[in-house]
Amino acid sequence: MSALLEVRHLSRSFRTVPAVNDVSFAVREGELLGLMGPNGAGKSTLFNLIAGVLPPSAGEIIYDGKTVTGWKAHDMARVGIARTFQIPKPYRQLSVIENVMLSAFLREKSTAGARRVAATTLEEVGLGEFAESPASALTVGLLKRLEVARALAMRPKLVLFDEIMAGLTPTEVGAMTSFVAQLPARGITVIWVEHVLYAIMKTATRMIVINRGKQIAEGTPAAMARDPAVVKAYLGEEIAIA
Amino acid sequence: MSIILDANAPKGGIPKLPQRGQVSWFEIILLLACIGVVASGVAHGLMDVIVLSFLFAGLALAWNIAGGYAGLISFGHSAFFGVGAFTSTILLTRHDLSPWIGIWIGALIAAAFGSILAIICARLRGPFFILSTLAFAEVVRIIALNWASLTGGPEGLSIPPTSSLADMVFASKSVYAALMLGYLVVVYGITKGLEASRFGYYLFAIRDNEDAAAAAGVNPLAGRAAAMALSAALTGIGGSLFAQYFLYLDPTYLISPELSFQFALLPAVGGLGTAIGPVLGSFLITPLSELLRSYFGSAAAGLHLVIYSLGLLGVMLYFPSGLAGALNKLTRRRPFS
Repeated sequence: MSALLEVRHLSRSFRTVPAVNDVSFAVREGELLGLMGPNGAGKSTLFNLIAGVLPPSAGEIIYDGKTVTGWKAHDMARVGIARTFQIPKPYRQLSVIENVMLSAFLREKSTAGARRVAATTLEEVGLGEFAESPASALTVGLLKRLEVARALAMRPKLVLFDEIMAGLTPTEVGAMTSFVAQLPARGITVIWVEHVLYAIMKTATRMIVINRGKQIAEGTPAAMARDPAVVKAYLGEEIAIA
Repeated sequence: MSIILDANAPKGGIPKLPQRGQVSWFEIILLLACIGVVASGVAHGLMDVIVLSFLFAGLALAWNIAGGYAGLISFGHSAFFGVGAFTSTILLTRHDLSPWIGIWIGALIAAAFGSILAIICARLRGPFFILSTLAFAEVVRIIALNWASLTGGPEGLSIPPTSSLADMVFASKSVYAALMLGYLVVVYGITKGLEASRFGYYLFAIRDNEDAAAAAGVNPLAGRAAAMALSAALTGIGGSLFAQYFLYLDPTYLISPELSFQFALLPAVGGLGTAIGPVLGSFLITPLSELLRSYFGSAAAGLHLVIYSLGLLGVMLYFPSGLAGALNKLTRRRPFS
């Protein structure tokens, strides 16, 4: 399997503060890569770099064999990179189905075609009954699902999920986990940031851990849970008790 | 496979939004009524009000494409109006080119002005964008006033009042009313088409959330420029038609903040981001301001403006989503926006 996305020595600073510092990794097609790290580790900045929202200060992004460093968000979307927003960004004046249609329009010219794709996607994420409701009426949990629907309606090759589980009940977390797990089989490669760790531990094929902008570990979920550097990043230094 | 919903659904369900782009009975009846008014040939004085109501309804719809749909609130649209009016008139009076052709050239130049404005203001939002559009129109007005060899300067330009189909000058006001109604119907049709098209949705997306729009593959700057170009072109056509009706162009009136505010006010009263709103706004406000001026204009200086302003305040206070919003509530549907 070839690398679908590769980032090389990627860095981004805000003024003098490095948010992402020399991060390199590759994602193969059909992988479900978990990205974890404590609060402020740089996960969202890393997503914004890959999605073209921010230009990197240094480093390269290679997607599908092309160097896409510095491309704008809409260019990244057109080549097949979709993303969700950690804080949902719905089009508040539009209905739920129209929100999803806007993503479907990326591959569908006609309104009827986009509506069909959007309707199918809404059923998949369990928002079918809210299709004609205004997006402004949805609860936070439902908005997270709308984010997922919007990303998938773009028919992406690579999708970046940024905390799609927040606000879901345990049953829903279970359902969403198995939903995400079957995406690689449909040809959608996933990079997933999630604070609900057991969900990601169960499904990820591989994990990367970053802390303070730097990559500190990489491996299977099981190996990550035992990695001393990871444990230290989450729980702090081991305290010697006499 | 799909995700099963838990107890996340709001109680009692969520209201539904109507679908876009469909033609309602109300619209058909309104159109037939307009045709009826034109055909009936009402009194000469009233026909003037009807001509202006149709023209300003079209202009309000044109403004609404940028201001209502794309969220580009502009107080500079009189610049495009002036560009259209002057282009077709200069081509007619100096180069003997029929306005039937000149109008389209005016529309193209106005579109160029519109996209330039959108690109200049690419990074400006909210009040900063609005003020820049106002300043832009002032620049255009000052250029028009001082470039006397082209625009006639403060004296303006006149179109010879000789009735001729080729020159788009008519003796009968009913013909003008029909012409303006045609303009209104065309701009309305474009608006309805836009509402249901991919491009129209792109404008909604840019208005509601630019980051989300970009993430969905929409180029926000290109969308804003295209919306402004289309809106400016249609405003320019309205300007040319106004020139053909009024037969005299005065840069200080054509390109003025007052006129720009009027273009923005009519959709705001009628309902921003709806197709029927700007039309209702013009049909209410244009006759009101014209009639008030003729009844009270001589009685006490400024009295007609006081009554006019009170009426506007009333509409803004009691129908915050415009006349279209009130209409939607009457028919027990949720407003579009």
